[in-house]
Formats: sequence, C-alpha cells, structure tokens
Amino acid sequence: MTHRLVNILLVEDDEIDVMNVKRAFSKNNIKNPLFVAGNGVEALEMLKSVIIPLPRIIISDINMPKMNGIEFLKVLREDEKLKNISVFVMTTSNEDSDKIDAYNLNVAGYILKPLSFEKFISSVATLKNFWQLCEM
Amino acid sequence: MICSNILLVDNNKIDVVSTKNAFSTLGIATTLHFAESENEAWSLLQGDHKISPTPKIILIDINENGLSGLNLLYNIRRHPDLKSILVFVITKANDDENKVAALNLNIAGYIRKPIESENNIDFFSILNDYWNIIEYSSEKK
Amino acid sequence: MDMKESENNCREELIALKKEYEEFVYIVSHDIKTPMRAIINIATWIEDDLGSNANQDILDNFSLLKNRVVRLENMMNALLEVSRVDKTKMELYEVNIPKLVNDCIKMLDNKSNVEFHITYHLKDENCITLGKKLEKVLFSLLDNAIRFHDKEKKNVIIEITENDADYEISISDDGPGIPEEVRDKIFSIFYTVNSKDVVDTTGAGLTISNKIIKMVGGKLHYAPTVSNGSLFKFNWPKTISI
Repeated sequence: MTHRLVNILLVEDDEIDVMNVKRAFSKNNIKNPLFVAGNGVEALEMLKSVIIPLPRIIISDINMPKMNGIEFLKVLREDEKLKNISVFVMTTSNEDSDKIDAYNLNVAGYILKPLSFEKFISSVATLKNFWQLCEM
Repeated sequence: MICSNILLVDNNKIDVVSTKNAFSTLGIATTLHFAESENEAWSLLQGDHKISPTPKIILIDINENGLSGLNLLYNIRRHPDLKSILVFVITKANDDENKVAALNLNIAGYIRKPIESENNIDFFSILNDYWNIIEYSSEKK
Repeated sequence: MDMKESENNCREELIALKKEYEEFVYIVSHDIKTPMRAIINIATWIEDDLGSNANQDILDNFSLLKNRVVRLENMMNALLEVSRVDKTKMELYEVNIPKLVNDCIKMLDNKSNVEFHITYHLKDENCITLGKKLEKVLFSLLDNAIRFHDKEKKNVIIEITENDADYEISISDDGPGIPEEVRDKIFSIFYTVNSKDVVDTTGAGLTISNKIIKMVGGKLHYAPTVSNGSLFKFNWPKTISI
C-alpha cells in the first residue's frame, strides 16, 4: 500500500456503520478510494464491473439482507478473479459459529464493532498499520 | 484478546532468537512454538507433538534457503481441523512467484520483515496490536 | 382426574409463558441495541464536528445525552444478562475455591483502599460446579461492597464454609448498609438505593446474583452487620440439578 492506493470495498447495510467507517478512515488519514455496497448481491455487482482495479481489501458485515456476509464470502472464494482478496469481517455478532464460518472461509481478521466511536477509531488505526505492513 | 499458542516456522536461527526477544520485550502473553522445517511444523500441528490447544496463528518465514513454506500452507488449507488457521507469511526476500502462490492460498498477510533487527520490535508491535483487536473462534484441544 | 389435568395444564402454561418472556426480553434488549449505538455515535460525531470551541452549554448537553444513552445501553445489557442467566456459561467444571475468590478480587476496580479479610472452613478446596456462575455471584457481591462503600478505608470480609450438602458463603462490609425500608426492593432489577447520578451503576448485579443462586437451588439473604454495614449470605448446593 505504498505507491498506489488500493481500492477498498465496504459491504455494510447500516448507514450509521458506513458513516463510522468513513469518519474513522478520515480521522486516520486513510485516503484509499472506498466503495460501499449495501449487501452481498450489490457487492458482487460492483466487483464485476464497477470497481477497477479490483479492491485488495474488503470489509464486510455478516448480518445483511438479500445475501449475508458468509454467503457473500463463499461466492467470493469460488470465483477465480476474486478469491484472493483479503477480507476483514466487521460485525456485531459475537457468535462462535459465525467466527468459525468466517475463518473457514479464510478471512484475514474478524473484528467486533466496538461500542464507542473512540475505540473504533483506534481499531481502524491498528488496521491501517497492519495494512501498511502487508504486500497486496 | 490473543489466542494461547502461535507457531513460528523459520529455519534461520538468528531470526528465531530475535523474534523470541521481540515477543518477550513486548510482553506478548501467548506461547510461541518453533519449527525449523515444514515436516517439523506439520508434526506440531497434527502429529505426534501436537500443540494443544491448536494454534490460531502461524508465522511462516519463507524463501529462506530451502524453506518455501508453500507446501506446508497447501497442506494446512486442505486439513479440516487446520484449514481455518490464520497464516502470516513473513519474508525478507523479493520473490513475487511465491507471493502470488501464497496469496492464492488465502493467507492473512504477506509481510516484509525489516532487514535491520532493531526494527523488529516495531514490526511485531504492529502485528501484536492487530492480533489483539481480532476475535478468535473457541479453542480446540 | 380433573385436578391432575388442570395441574398439568397450569404447569405447561407456566413453562410456555416463561419461555415467551425470556424470548421477548432477549429480542427487545438485543434489537434495541442497534439504534442505541447509533445515537451514541451520532452524538459523538456532532460533538466532534462542533469542536472544542463550541458553546460550553451545548457541549455539556451532549455529554449528558451520551451519558444517558450509555445508561440505557447498560440497562439493556443488564436485562439481556438477566434473561440469559440459565442459557449461557452453564459448564460444570472443577473449581478451586480460593483461586476463584482471588480471581474475582483481581478483576475488581478501585480496590486500592480495600482490605480483604478471607476465612475458609473447607474440607476440600476443589469442587465441581458451575464455575462461571459462582464467579459472577462472588464478583457482583464484592463489586457492590466496594462500589457502595462510603468510607476512605474499606473492609470487606469473605467467609466460606463447607457443609455436607452445600457451601455457606458470606460477604460483608463496614459500609453504610441498606436502610430497612428498602431492603425488600434491592433484588429488583435497576433498583438503586441512591440516585444513579450519585453512584453510576445499573443496579442489576444483585438481581442477576439472586437469580443464579435460586437457579442452583440456594438462597440469598441480606442482614445488617453489628457496625450497620451489609452482610450478604447465601448457600451454594454441591449438587446442582437444573
């Protein structure tokens, strides 16, 4: 993530959480182009034609209408062009079953949405540092 | 909160010591296990010397003279009990071919290690912070 | 025949009602959390956008707003916890009683001026029980003892005695005690002796503890101590049948 800023796709249906991500990105000076899809179906459409080049990072919630995060992840992993994108789950679900499903589909991280905005800003700061270490 | 066990697969003795020191300086609470080869790693994961509970994080230092790590990664991904482990590939080398192969096996991160070991603390500090904000599924014996 | 039948009907209805109540409480507290989190977030954004140079009254009001929503959230969490008492963390495992007590003490906040006096009369330090539930009760009672204490230097006395069929556990303090008039209210959820502006707490610790103790077949009593502090005493059966 050094010379060219990779595209990031956020798959999230709650408008407050979308705002949270945008604000936390801005607070942390994350300037990557951010694309937003409201659910898995919309995300797949965007990945097919809208986002060029393809994002290297996807942040996805689990509980969403039409196609939830786990189903979306399954489709992603079965697609030759999309399967090696790094996916970070960001959700309120603390259910072990969701964590198992997500890690079985090889997400790079499973993050619980923190209750306070300040904590969220700090989590995004940690994510940013981690992304800067990774070669994508 | 971080998981109980992390496995480091690295055949460079100096790097291993410097990693151990970084972990201890940072006070990382998790137990660090070591393997110098893919075979040794495999036996620690599901063989005779199986680590319990199974590590949730594996660090593979690839491209170090004979240790490609890709075989190990491939086998981990095909094993029902191990396939969900978070694998971070750490490397000093500049081998794009291995990078693409590793990324295709859904690693959590392909990370370039600092050449100067003084920067190791910062490097592992970032990783440690990341490991502390993510959730883990419940540990299996 | 009629009596037996109506008794069975009553029992079935009771079970169904209980289930419906618990599902209702769970759904309500779980689903309400999302818009509540949103309110806190939006208040924080507005605060943030106003900047620190804004009218102090406005900033104060936002502070109050956030504080009340956090309180709402804590109450929802408490409600959720009360409704799930018999559904989560129900594992039976071997517990070392002194270690459990020490672990609880370690988890407490604000214990700097607290002196703990612990006495054990145990035949066996270990027992197999619902460890997480016992831990919750011990922690709640200890936490209350400290949180509602009114003196600079605080004393908390813990005594655990092993009997044939159960453990007798008492936790007492030299704090202000609970006025006689309100003693029958303290197990009601959200009830606090002082206004919540004085001591910030949801008031659910006793409710949850009482429910857990009842669930395992024990009883929780309150009594004043000689120094007019509080004594909470309960028995924890060795054999738990749920």
